[in-house]
Amino acid sequence: MVRGISLAYGVYLLLPIALLVLGSFGNSWTNSLLPSGLTGQWYRDLWIDPSFRKAFTTSLIVALSACAINTVISIPLAYSLYHGAGRRGSVAAKIVSAMPVAVPTITLGFGYIIVFNTETTPWLGTLPLLVAAHAVHTLPYLTNTLLSDLRHLDLGRLERAAATLGASTWQQFGGIVIPNLRQSLFSGLVMVAAISVGEFGLSNLLTSFQNRTYPVVLLQAFYGATGFACAATVILLLLASASALISSTVVKKS
Amino acid sequence: MSLILDRVSYHYPGTKQGLEEVSINVQTGELVAVIGPSGSGKSTLLKLVSGLTTGHSGSIVLDGDDLSNKPVHHRNIGMVFQNYALFPHLNVENNIAYGLKLRNVPAPERLAQARDLLALVGLADYGARPISKLSGGQQQRVALARALAINPKALLLDEPLAALDAGIRGHLRDQIRAIQRRFNATTLLVTHDQEEALSIADRVAVLKDGKLLQLDTPARIYEEPATRAVAEFVGLSTILPVVVAGKDLIDAGCGRLHAPTGGRRIGSQAFALMRPEHFRPDPGPDAVNRIMGKVGARRYLGSVSRYDFHVEGLPKTLLGESKVPAVEAVAISPEHIRLLDD
Repeated sequence: MVRGISLAYGVYLLLPIALLVLGSFGNSWTNSLLPSGLTGQWYRDLWIDPSFRKAFTTSLIVALSACAINTVISIPLAYSLYHGAGRRGSVAAKIVSAMPVAVPTITLGFGYIIVFNTETTPWLGTLPLLVAAHAVHTLPYLTNTLLSDLRHLDLGRLERAAATLGASTWQQFGGIVIPNLRQSLFSGLVMVAAISVGEFGLSNLLTSFQNRTYPVVLLQAFYGATGFACAATVILLLLASASALISSTVVKKS
Repeated sequence: MSLILDRVSYHYPGTKQGLEEVSINVQTGELVAVIGPSGSGKSTLLKLVSGLTTGHSGSIVLDGDDLSNKPVHHRNIGMVFQNYALFPHLNVENNIAYGLKLRNVPAPERLAQARDLLALVGLADYGARPISKLSGGQQQRVALARALAINPKALLLDEPLAALDAGIRGHLRDQIRAIQRRFNATTLLVTHDQEEALSIADRVAVLKDGKLLQLDTPARIYEEPATRAVAEFVGLSTILPVVVAGKDLIDAGCGRLHAPTGGRRIGSQAFALMRPEHFRPDPGPDAVNRIMGKVGARRYLGSVSRYDFHVEGLPKTLLGESKVPAVEAVAISPEHIRLLDD
């Protein structure tokens, strides 16, 4: 019974993906259950399409920038949330954890449109604003990952031990906290990159024509040939799966 | 390098828990064990000395230096934590060498020292291993070596054996004592295990509700406890409320017993402390302090049996211990009854 449900769920989950892959190699696919003919044409088209290549680069730049910004902000943030014992600290930690669920990207996007579309702040459509939005959107994910690792490892006890051995606060942070957070930082960053690369709602609202991200351009593909759209989606899927795989391998190791 | 605590008081913010005017002096190379029930303040005491908790009144002086305003990382006090707190990202020898690295000792030198210490704690071949591959007892020894590596002015041991199996605890206890003696380390050990305290320490401090009840040698703590609370906490005993009936004579409710009453007035109330091993089972009819009754629950402990002995007129049963349990009478020599005032 359980196995049957699992199997049905697996099919439900994997069938669309299988069809996408199939479609990306199909010559034509209109009004039929399965595509007909075999071709690598769609991937070739994708490769030479300048707008897709540009969007791919933009997505990578945005994702890597979000990772860099989050690293700088998240480590001290998670660290201070961990040590901000007492009620105020834990309330702050709960808000950070709940933020991705409580604040939909569309809300965040509209906020940005209102704030950054004035004469004094005319940054709507610029790459830095897009990066900032992605950083804000993904920050809680990384912070949560780090925070749970800080708690799990009970790093406070290691810091106390280091202090008795002569480590100043900075030496404890650099020599004990950071090295012990390496793995969760890495897996958290892969997650940030995966979310950023696949993010559509926020990017669609904030990008200009010049700096569209991959998912935004991908939407355009659906108005053209089905095979082309499938191939473009498969590329995004590969990117996201690779991130997820790296992330889960790291988590398993630690 | 003596450690002198003089009237140290501390209260946790918003509570009455903490320490009240505790004075303890630990001489160079001496091991003082601090025992007490949970909440007695023994861990607080250790945290104050280490500097992990601050804000006490009174003074803590180590080797002539007042530690009050010295941050924890400048105190040069080695500490072994109950959960060892070894660094999981470093291997065994780098854990031990960590304190030396902070003191800018060159790598070859500090690793050589770490290996020497490892050999000393019996883990010579374990230097390159990750911490996660060590057993609890091995981790405990690495933690001890790490604390000793910085050549500390004092050594603090916070329940160092509490997380270990009973089987290896005794062996490690002896090893800790031997290493502590070898380094002549001025040591403060906190434990809730009174047997551990009595067997390892030069002197024992008994804390209760933040107050120091007694600081004395293990033998005197056991045989001549200052208060009823000390007697109850250290070792097994029967403590009976009694009235002084005459010179060296007390009334316990089951007849009169001979016991040294000191300068107590006739009619004054006191508590009589009797240790189980001092009850002689079924003595002859002429024995002093012969008490008739009948035996209750018996527990076979191997070398001896421990038994309850019910006596009519007494508010509680007597606890006896001997090779063969008593059947109908016990006796206790007067010098083995110790009167306590509270």
